[in-house]
Formats: sequence, structure tokens, C-alpha cells
Amino acid sequence: MASPTELLSGIAKPMPGYDPIGGRDQLVTDRADFASITSDVAGVIERKTTIGWWVTFMVSLGLLGILGLSVAYLVYNGTGVWGINSPIGWGWAIVNFVFWVGIGHAGTLISAVLFLFRQKWRTGINRFAEAMTIFAVMCALLFPTIHVGRIWLLHWVFPIPNQMSAWPNFRSPLLWDVFAVSIYGTTSILFWYVGLIPDLATMRDRAKTKIARMAYGIFALGWRGSNRHWQHYEVAYLLLAGLATPLVLSVHSIVSFDFAVSQLPGWHTTIFPPYFVAGAIFSGFAMVMNLVIIARWAFKLEHIFTMKHLDNMARVITLTGSMVGYAYAMEFFIAYYSGNPYESFAFVNRAFGPYAWAYWIMVSCNVISPQLFWFKKLRNNIAVLFIVSIFVNIGMWFERFVITVTSLHRDFLPASWDYYSPTIWDIGAFVGSFGLFGTMMCLFVRFLPLIAIAELKTVIPAADPHGAHGHGSDHAHSDHPHSDHPHSDHPHSDHAAVDQGHGGQGHSAPAIALQKATHEH
Amino acid sequence: MGGSHTKTWPSPADLTLPDSSGWNKVPLIGALIGVACIGAAAAMGWTSGRFAFAYLTAYMYWLSIALGGLFFVIIQFAARAGWSVLVRRVAENIAATMPLFAVLFIPILLNMDHLYHHWLHPDANDAVLAHKAGYLNKTFFLVRAALYFITWTGLALFFHRQSTRQDVDGDIRHTSKMQAMSYPAIALFGLSITFAAIDWVKSIDPHWFSTMWGVYYFAGAILGFFALFGLLTVMMTREGSDLFHGTVTTEHRHDIGKFTFGFVVFWTYIAFSQYFLIWYASLPEETVWFKHHLAGNWEAVGYVLIGGHFILPFLFLMSRHMKRNRTTYAMGAVWLLFMHWVDLYWNIMPMYVPHGAPADYHSHFALSPEDILTFVGVGGLFFATFAFLLRRQAIVPIRDPRLGESLRFENF
Repeated sequence: MASPTELLSGIAKPMPGYDPIGGRDQLVTDRADFASITSDVAGVIERKTTIGWWVTFMVSLGLLGILGLSVAYLVYNGTGVWGINSPIGWGWAIVNFVFWVGIGHAGTLISAVLFLFRQKWRTGINRFAEAMTIFAVMCALLFPTIHVGRIWLLHWVFPIPNQMSAWPNFRSPLLWDVFAVSIYGTTSILFWYVGLIPDLATMRDRAKTKIARMAYGIFALGWRGSNRHWQHYEVAYLLLAGLATPLVLSVHSIVSFDFAVSQLPGWHTTIFPPYFVAGAIFSGFAMVMNLVIIARWAFKLEHIFTMKHLDNMARVITLTGSMVGYAYAMEFFIAYYSGNPYESFAFVNRAFGPYAWAYWIMVSCNVISPQLFWFKKLRNNIAVLFIVSIFVNIGMWFERFVITVTSLHRDFLPASWDYYSPTIWDIGAFVGSFGLFGTMMCLFVRFLPLIAIAELKTVIPAADPHGAHGHGSDHAHSDHPHSDHPHSDHPHSDHAAVDQGHGGQGHSAPAIALQKATHEH
Repeated sequence: MGGSHTKTWPSPADLTLPDSSGWNKVPLIGALIGVACIGAAAAMGWTSGRFAFAYLTAYMYWLSIALGGLFFVIIQFAARAGWSVLVRRVAENIAATMPLFAVLFIPILLNMDHLYHHWLHPDANDAVLAHKAGYLNKTFFLVRAALYFITWTGLALFFHRQSTRQDVDGDIRHTSKMQAMSYPAIALFGLSITFAAIDWVKSIDPHWFSTMWGVYYFAGAILGFFALFGLLTVMMTREGSDLFHGTVTTEHRHDIGKFTFGFVVFWTYIAFSQYFLIWYASLPEETVWFKHHLAGNWEAVGYVLIGGHFILPFLFLMSRHMKRNRTTYAMGAVWLLFMHWVDLYWNIMPMYVPHGAPADYHSHFALSPEDILTFVGVGGLFFATFAFLLRRQAIVPIRDPRLGESLRFENF
């Protein structure tokens, strides 16, 4: 009779990327190895510019032109060209600000939080999501900037010593926003750039023209991939992840404070901070989903942006969408439970008042549509994933619209009640912000590796020192290991036999034993 | 590398609690202490109502830990986690104490007049309470309580049963079933813990409201669970009487420590957000709750929470070393378990008004024997049930398909 320790030591570690129950499939499919990952990702940049890219870029530039026109007209004339009025002093500009900041949350969640949670599937999409975050934050910062009206006095939002001793109001969450969003933007750029350095070096070494070599070379900071470089890199990355994690919570919490510190029914409610954070992650993931679906199709990266990534993102969307639904329900319940007539009025008015159409768009897009992802079939259908993700972002835009406008348009003084409609300049600025976003995204995918090449290599089976045979590299050349994996639909209860492998490093499940047998020598 | 030979899996009997373990005595001792302490507390404070409030505090405390255990188990399956398999049975047993809490709810039912008299017997002129009578009435309260216990007991026993059955037959389908169940379980858990917290604690002061309340109780519950979970892991892996035979390592404890640290911050985030938004808007119908809970020497308890529930553990548990060292982690865990109790005590006890107190009675912080006795009593019964479950099957889910991953788990 063996001791319990011996018995347990006979239970072997499954090989990386392999999950006995299915569900944690390999992260990179289609027999990717170190060389092919580099050439696949770098190829996106090195190949000739496609017509599709030019079309997207031109459309984005056109929209960016609309943005420039809208902003110029606004700055020349003042914010009166917008639809805002009294009491609806916060119109589309604030809605758009919160919308874009929210989208910007997925990048840091994916790069920092999922990193700390050892969610290796993040590795395929993190670079892309971080870039998206930076561009979304740029779009977000635009709106409060132009909303101040006299844009040439914008530096007044910063506490700059001056001879008149005039300071911004430190007690206002709007000022905290200035700090929170700029810290968030800075940290996101740092995180993104630190991650890029090894890949920039790769691009430098592969560059065919002198200009490209110099451009990548300058930003690669002399990276040579030495052990010492990697050690510093990993420490920096972990530290940045730790520092960025609280930012995921703090930024949108402070954005929620903009509303929740007030006394306005519908704005003032204690659940706002976590509710806004959940909503931000929700919309950010939906945006990543849309962009990843386009990128994997346009650049033929289906083996790197796998269905596994899309499936996991769909799960996060359903989870966070349900959290948002919980918050909607809790707000409604407390509006009743509080017994406060103003609270009840605000919420009944939201659902059945003049903006009921917006409220129900919000509920159907945010709460109902992500519930489709409970079904595996729908989670694995690209069209459904794409459309629902668009719905989610429509819904999240409307959420901010509903919060901002419905609470303001019925204030405590019925004489000032009004209906708010945007003008063409509101619409122009919002539509134009997609031009800014699109232009930046296009330039990013054209000139920078849209996938973290070095990091991605660490999650393929060949990178695991304990992989098959202890030197897993030949595993990568095996014929399509993925197809051999058992999935949840054929349960194998035959666990009676344990393949001990060598030194307990073998693989427990019979299927792995079988797979190994093909390599036995 | 030929020469692969087969080896039999350990049977549940190989990894059960050894006869020499002190845990074998806990069911009897815990039950005796529990019954004696609760009995003594009831005898002392039944008529004044002190027992009712002290008991509710103790009950919500230990219940929160059991609920935290349930949530942990659910999340492990929802996230398809591998690292935690070795220690998951401990959480499964904590969660499976849930039927005990259904029974222990009886003293609360018997004391409803003390605890919930504001809405059970509302002032006839109170328009607000008349407005919410559709929710706060005895029948609906009882129906909801029954629903919570059905949900929690059902979920806890489902996961416990599937997992222990897998010990015997090794069927991978148990894992698939638990995984499939975990997703709806998150939703059921979220709704039930929210409304239970509203019904049993918030409704004591039925005029007050906060949309954050459910999340607040949840945050404390998960923190309390992780502190106890980590402490139990340290206790059960003591050299010489290691129930896990060296398989549960510093790596596992480190991860539990990281979760503990994370939920210290999460609790603070939730508690701060709730307090801050109410403070900033300064609406009388909301601030009145904090006015009562910070009146007199209760304010000092509030400061203890800021320092002891956040600043101290935040700094203490931040370093990797503190989480990986058995002694320092255990110290932190014990402290947090105490702070979690202070948190619930501060939330519940200021609402206690002794039976027959004068109209101008001012609540103040004064520890009474009932408070300690109920805490020890409910805790004794909790540990008795936990140890009873611990003896009944293997200490680890020995046939879990992801056990191999957990056995070789390392933090990077």
C-alpha cells in the first residue's frame, strides 16, 4: 500500500493548453511555432498595403474631417450650437465622454487584471485591446475639452500656480476626472509601450528599409533580448500590471462620481461606482470583440485570434452585462423601496416617460441581447458575436444618454422641463470621433505588431519546459495536437489507469497517453 | 521514454481524516460549546432584545463565511480553475454547512418582534412604511427566507454531492455538470445574498436605503471566507499533522493570500463608495443611518474599521513574503476575521434599542456577554458541522480531472 503522497504524485500534470474536460483549449491553433508566429504577425505590416485597408483608412479620415469641422464650428461659435439647454446642460458631449472612457476599460482589464489572474488567453488580444484603449481615451478626452467652450483656457483645469490664486475646485469630481483619466491614459501608454519593446526590436531586425530600421530601432531602445533585458522587462510588466489594476476600478468610479455625488434622482445612488465599472468592461469587451472579428478576418489571423478568445470574451460580456442588469434592477427596486417619491418618479419617467424609447433600447441591448451568449452555438457564431457586440455598444451609449438626459430633463422645477434633441453639430462630433478612433486603429495595425509576438510564444505548447518529453519543441511539430484532444462531449470516465510518464511529468488522461504513444521511442 | 506503467488512483479512504487528527473531536466539542453558549446568551438577553441583536450579528457573520465558501466553489467551476482543486474540498465543506443556517434561523424568527418591529408594527402615520408594506410584510419575508435557504442549500449540496461522488467513480461528467451549473448559480447567488442582506439587516432600520447594500455584505462575506479559508489551510498543513501530505504548498496559500488582499481592497472600495456618496450628497434620509452608526462612541468603532479593516491589512498583506509565510498570513487572517466581525457588529448593533428603553435612548458601544457568547456559540456549531463533513469523505477531490494541475501549481 503506497502512502498518500506517493499516490498523489502519480497524478500527472496535463500538458499545457490541454484541459481534460475541454473548454481550455490550446490558445494558438493550427500548428503555430515560434517562427510562424513572428512571420504571421510581422507579415501584416510587411505585406503590401491592401485595398481594404485604404478604404477603411479613407473612410476614417473622412469622418475625422467631419470631426475637425464640427469642432472648428463649435469653437468658433460656442457651445450654443449644440442641443444643450437649461436644465440639460450635459448633453451628448458627456454621453460621448463616458461612452469612450468606458470602451477604454477593456484594454487595461485584459492587460493588467487578466494578467494577474493568469488568464493566458489574454495574450493573443492584449496588444490590440491596449491600443484600442489608448485611442478610446483620446476620443474621450476630446469631449470634455471641447465642452468647456473656451478651449484656449483649458489649462485652467490643472492646478497651475497663478498670480490671482485661482484654483480649480478640488472638491469637484470633474477635477478628479482630469487627474484620473490623464493618469489612466499615461499608464495605458506606458504599459502598451513596455510590452511593445521586444516586438519593436523584432520589427527592427526584420526591417528591409533604412527608415523602417531606424524608426523601429529608436523605439526599441536597444533591445537585444538578453537574459537581463527579459528580467527587467518581466519585473516592469508585473509592476505596471499591479499599478494598472486599481486604475481599472478607479477611473470609471470617478466618472460615476460625476453623477452620483449630486442630489439628482437617478444620478445619486450608491451602487454607481461598481455599476459603472462593470458597464465599462462590458462595452470595452464588446468593442474588442468587434475589432478582433474584423482583424482576424482581414489579416487571416484566425489561428491566433481563435474562437476560444471570442468565446471567452462572449462570457465576459454576458457576465458584465448581467451585472449591469443587476444594477438596473437594484436601482428600480430601491426607487420603490426607498419610498422617496422623487426617486420613484425619476425611474418611472425613465421607463415610461418621453425618453422611454431610449430606456428600452438600453435594456434590450445591454441586458437581454448578451443573454444569447448562454448558448454555445451562438457563442461560436461569428455573425451573432459581431451583431450582439454592436448592440452592446449601442446599448451602452444609450445607457449614458438615459442617465444624463432623463434625470436632467425633469428637474425639481417643472417650469423648466424640456425635451432635449441634439443638433447636427452634436452628431457631427460624435460620428467624427469614430473617425479619430478608426484612423488611429488603421495606422496602428499598419505600422505596429497588432499581436504581442514575444508574449504569444510563451503560451504555445512548444514553450513549456515541462511539455511532452520535457523538451516540448518537437511537440509543436507534431501533427495537429489539437484534433486529438477529447472534448466535453465525449466524457471518458476511464480514469482507472494513470500514465505516470517520467518523474511524474507525463499526462494523466488516456487520450494524452495515446497521443504520447505516437511519439514513444 | 517508454516504460510507462499504470498506477491505481488513490481511493477516498487513502485521503480521509486520520483517526489521530484533532478535527475528530470538533463535532462533539463544537456542538456542546455552541448549544451552551447560545443557551446562556438567550437566557441572559432574551427579554431585553440584546440576545436577538447579538445573535443576528453572529448569525450574519458565520453565514457570510458559509456563503463565501459557496461563492468560491461556484467561481472555481465557472472559471475552470485548476490551481485550487487540492483545497477546494475545504470550501465545499464550508459551503455545505448551509442546512445548519436554515435551522439556526429559527431564533431570528422567534425574535422578529425585537429585530423588525419597525416594519412589523409600523406607526399608523408612517407613509413611507405604508408604501413599502408590499415588500416588508411578515408573509413575504418568510417566503423569501425560505427561497434563500432553498437556493443556498440546494447549490451547496449539489456541488458537494457531485464532487464527493466523483471521488468514488472518477466520472468526468460530474465536473461538466458542476461547470454547467456554476453559471446560473452565480446569478442565483447574487440575487439571494443581496435580498437576504436587505431583509435581515437593512430592514431593521426600514427607512434607510442604499443600492450598494447587497454588494457591501457580499464583499465582507468573501473577505471573511478567504481569511478563514487561508487560516484553515495553514492549520491543516501544519508540519507533523499535515492532512494534505505535503501536497498543498506555499503556492496555494500564496494565491489564497492574494485573494484575501484583493478583497480587503474590494471591501474598502465598496464601503468607501457607499459612505462617500451619501456623505457628499448629504441627503438627510440617507445620512441619518450614518448619524446613528457614528453616534457617541460608535464613531470610534468606525475609525477602527478604517484603520483595521483597510489600512493595516492593506499594508500588512501587500508584500509577497507576508502572504507566503505561514505565521504572518495566519496573523493577518485572524485579524481580518476579527475585523469582519467588527464590521457586522458596527452595522447591526447600533440599531439595538433595549426593550422598554426610554424614548430618548441613545445607542452606544458597550460589549455585552451575549455578543461574545453568540459569536462563539454559532461559531461552535459552524465548526462542528464543518468537522462533521470533513470526516465523511476525502480531504481533497481525489479524482478531479484537474487535480494534476493543482498538484504542480506554481506562481510565476
